[in-house]
Amino acid sequence: MKKLFSELDLKYKLAIIAVLLGVVALFAGDPYSGTSVKVNVKDLALSTVKSSDKINPTDLADWIIQGKADYILVDLRSPDKYAEYTLPEAENIPLVELPNSDLLRNQKIILFSDDEVAAAQGWFILKAKKYNSVYILEGGLNGWKEKVVFPKVPANPSKDDLAKLEKKKAVAQYFGGDLVTETTSTEVRTEIKLPTSSVVPQTTQPNTGGKVTAPKKKKREGC
Amino acid sequence: MNAPFYKFGLFNSDVSLIIAFIIGIAFGFALERGGFGSARILAAQFYFSNMRVLKVMFTAIVTAMLGLYYLSVIGFVDLSLIYISETYILPQVVGGLILGVGFVIGGYCPGTSVVSFATGKLDGLMYILGLMFGIFIFGEVFPYITDFYYSTNMGSVTLPQYFHLSYGLVVFLVVIMAVGAFALAEWSEKKFAHRNPENQL
Repeated sequence: MKKLFSELDLKYKLAIIAVLLGVVALFAGDPYSGTSVKVNVKDLALSTVKSSDKINPTDLADWIIQGKADYILVDLRSPDKYAEYTLPEAENIPLVELPNSDLLRNQKIILFSDDEVAAAQGWFILKAKKYNSVYILEGGLNGWKEKVVFPKVPANPSKDDLAKLEKKKAVAQYFGGDLVTETTSTEVRTEIKLPTSSVVPQTTQPNTGGKVTAPKKKKREGC
Repeated sequence: MNAPFYKFGLFNSDVSLIIAFIIGIAFGFALERGGFGSARILAAQFYFSNMRVLKVMFTAIVTAMLGLYYLSVIGFVDLSLIYISETYILPQVVGGLILGVGFVIGGYCPGTSVVSFATGKLDGLMYILGLMFGIFIFGEVFPYITDFYYSTNMGSVTLPQYFHLSYGLVVFLVVIMAVGAFALAEWSEKKFAHRNPENQL
């Protein structure tokens, strides 16, 4: 057999090799391996119009404090930024790796990045891959900081507001921030912004003061 | 390391031009060495006496196809990132026929005319001038044929998608088609050997 092959002309050898490779190709699989998907554009557009795919940061803060665990938080930013600051219990899956992630389709997934753009892209990717309950954190981490960690309050709040503000303050302090009165906002913000960078996922005890001593990093893998 | 290199940002668009230049030179060299600088050999294709064009083209197709297929199966190339030009079936059929007629009359296709001129052939130069003139004419009449030019768009469609076959099966069928075409070409060259310009020289 080997002798027979070596006696052949080069062109016949090449032809035989090509045919063999062609036969192997029959069983070698699909080279696109799931990188392209079909999308029901109307379905996607409708769910966006209804704005039912956004999670308000205040709601999320409540869920975190209540210890709700029926969702999974996904940080789409780079690992560097993730190490710097992220939300409690958030899992880091950079956007490019999202299509190949091992997220389960029956999980409630909340995506976030610094703003909404990357999260929206991730949302589209997952929706296109038939993930049903995918949500975006409204305003991203920036929105989170503004609404939850350092919420702005009017300098002279009315009586009705006071009760709400108390709650806001408790929530903000839980996450290592504080209320920011609008008059002094710029100054105060730069001053207390510092602890933000050291705030890392921690779900144990609510902080009592505005200042935070960097707690030990505690990230849960998966869900 | 993953391909396509440009899409994965291994080099920028300036460097890509240099790479394109190198590949272009290599392509021209391969065409010349393949005998594609001779209008006699090229035109003989249409009289079935010298099937070199078909053999070289089909060899290139099969080599590229098997290479890309297996490189993507092992994960080196991401096929989904490779640009596939769109199919406008009717205008492309008409354009292909016009190019074919020009091929028989002039004895070259656009690429091979440049190859032949590079080796000093004057008919190659004439062909290039004709080519430029054709481009000029096309540019002038383009406003009147724009509708036709963009008609029957099928998108970036590939054979496996269009025929709903698996990629492996299409690879196999193209290989079989190529081998069959080679066998047919050999037979035809024998039958029309008296007309083969290579035998007359």
